[in-house]
Amino acid sequence: MPIIPIGESGRWTNYHGTGVCEDAVRFGLRSGDAPRGRDEIGLAAAAVREWLEKARVAGKRVRPLGAGWSPSNVNICSDAWLLHTRRFNRCFRIAADDVRPGVDASGLMLVEAGALVDEVSDKLEQQGRSLWTSGAGNGQTFAGAAATGTHGSMVTRGGIQDHIRAVQLVTPAGVHWIEPAAGVMSDAFVAATGSTPVRDDDVFAAAQLPVGALGIVPALVVDSVPKFLVRPIQNLRKVECAALDWLAAGDFRRFSKAYALDRDPDFVQMIVNPYKPFKRPAMLRFLYAEPWRANYDQATPGQLGAGYDALSLLGRLLDDYPWARGALLQFAMKMGYAAGPDVDDPPVHGTWGEGLDTHRPLADLFNASVTIDRADLPHVFELICGVYTRHGGSTAVTLRFMERAQGLLAPARFTHNAVIDFDGPRSARTAEAYARVVELLDREGVAFTRHWAKSCHLDAARVAADYGEDLQRWRAARDRLIPDPAHRAIFGSAVLDGLGLTG
Amino acid sequence: MMWIGWGLAALLLALLVGQYLAGQGDIFVSIANPRPLDEESMVVTLKYWGFAAEARQPFVTPEADHGLCDLRVYTTRRQMLVAIATLGLIRPVTVAWRAHAGIQPLGEA
Ligand SMILES: Cc1cc2nc3c(=O)[nH]c(=O)nc-3n(C[C@H](O)[C@H](O)[C@H](O)COP(=O)(O)OP(=O)(O)OC[C@H]3O[C@@H](n4cnc5c(N)ncnc54)[C@H](O)[C@@H]3O)c2cc1C
Repeated sequence: MPIIPIGESGRWTNYHGTGVCEDAVRFGLRSGDAPRGRDEIGLAAAAVREWLEKARVAGKRVRPLGAGWSPSNVNICSDAWLLHTRRFNRCFRIAADDVRPGVDASGLMLVEAGALVDEVSDKLEQQGRSLWTSGAGNGQTFAGAAATGTHGSMVTRGGIQDHIRAVQLVTPAGVHWIEPAAGVMSDAFVAATGSTPVRDDDVFAAAQLPVGALGIVPALVVDSVPKFLVRPIQNLRKVECAALDWLAAGDFRRFSKAYALDRDPDFVQMIVNPYKPFKRPAMLRFLYAEPWRANYDQATPGQLGAGYDALSLLGRLLDDYPWARGALLQFAMKMGYAAGPDVDDPPVHGTWGEGLDTHRPLADLFNASVTIDRADLPHVFELICGVYTRHGGSTAVTLRFMERAQGLLAPARFTHNAVIDFDGPRSARTAEAYARVVELLDREGVAFTRHWAKSCHLDAARVAADYGEDLQRWRAARDRLIPDPAHRAIFGSAVLDGLGLTG
Repeated sequence: MMWIGWGLAALLLALLVGQYLAGQGDIFVSIANPRPLDEESMVVTLKYWGFAAEARQPFVTPEADHGLCDLRVYTTRRQMLVAIATLGLIRPVTVAWRAHAGIQPLGEA
């Protein structure tokens, strides 16, 4: 039986403790040992459908859970049945005759939804392949990360959901196999998974980023690129204000030349102290992709620059001593930033997966962000830092870059995006300061979106305004997949209803 | 003479504050390639400077058949204050752990 009850009913708290599911009845979706992946996900989908029916009869809402990493509480629902998926985590190689004619199967892998991004990365690397982007950590489940449009800072790439080529989705009405209109997997393969094919570009683009409101995803087909190495450069540098113009214009080479190597970087990230962002050194991270070779100077994730957790340890101090915030934050940045290889250090290399880690729970964190058109960066960045610090924001401010991402509800909807993250210790003052940033952008008439997973306080009116026509298309796709409003309500929750995604 | 007394008192206070702060630090150990499930925790109380440790049930965790990924040991502010106020006779410590989701071999679709 792939679904088993876990423990007594009670409370479940998400990763950062931003939300609690009260009176939750918990179940676990477990991997089996079927010899073929298609059989295993077929069995799981049937079990999920049966479980949904039982929940419906019991009058309960359901909430599938990945790693529970979303502080926006899209993973929270009280008086509901929760489905933990992290032990549904097998990955399967796809053969040439599993796909439709003309589709290259060599980069594809069938992934059970609860596999962590780390697991997917490992299994791809085992086959000489790699993800081309992911978030700063890799402890999310693949389905959970895609559900909210998780992204990193690969400057020519979009979000993690861009890897998805097909989605298996279970609703009370059926088990769907969703692909773009051109199709990916063979009819025989889809039939063996017990799913009905839905080959439609809009439905696929909705299912790439479902925000947890379209049903339960047991499995995905994930695409990849040939395995590559990255050389990290990580340093503390005073960045001149003019550099914002280079970044806004996409001249990452010039930025890299000024602060790291005279090469085109593939990944650029800048973490600044918003208290005097151009007077105090910023933490810069560059990654330069290189072709894979077996005999590389392998380094640990720490040496490759994963994580900057000490920032969260200073949370209480930052809140207690507002007059010292700028200096304390700078100290935290200096201490916490994994001492990376600088330009003059001997180069180290790692694969994409080796440069990330699964993150460990420490202090209470605040995570919020705004995604803007990269071209607006020089105009608003200093204003944002100014308003944020004036209102007591106590986190570092991170700048990341990405191209337009796939999925109708992808927050990265500009052709070129700059994502400004406010990640650090949680406090009411910081949340208030972030709210002022949002007000500022509205006042300045700057278009922006917010992350589905973070504490960005979106509401239905704002979602409708931000996504316009694309939201209508997403809703039309949802209504095709779940025509009965009573069935849609099963996937509701206070947060998702408030976003206008479930009605 | 007086100032030596004050100096010693200040030193003792500084030692105490140092212990109070350091006690709240996080001790964290992890296996190399973790696949963590949810964090669970329990409070273990050392009594009489460790001569008697509270014998609670050891790591009862519902999903630990693949072992544990990591372990975190820390003391909260309140726990540290209890330890100081009781001269260390009662020393509550929080132990938190995450079970492993298991790593399955790559299969065929
Ligand atoms: C330490 C940390 C670092 C982070 N770094 C980044 C970053 O660099 N970039 C970035 O963009 N974001 C980042 N985030 C945000 C994170 O990537 C998102 O919160 C992501 O959605 C978490 O995935 P999860 O598996 O924990 O999903 P959850 O939080 O458990 O779930 C997210 C949503 O997906 C739904 N869901 C989960 N599994 C399924 C399923 N099988 N079927 C249907 N619905 C499902 C849930 O119901 C929920 O609505 C970070 C968060 C943390 C805590």
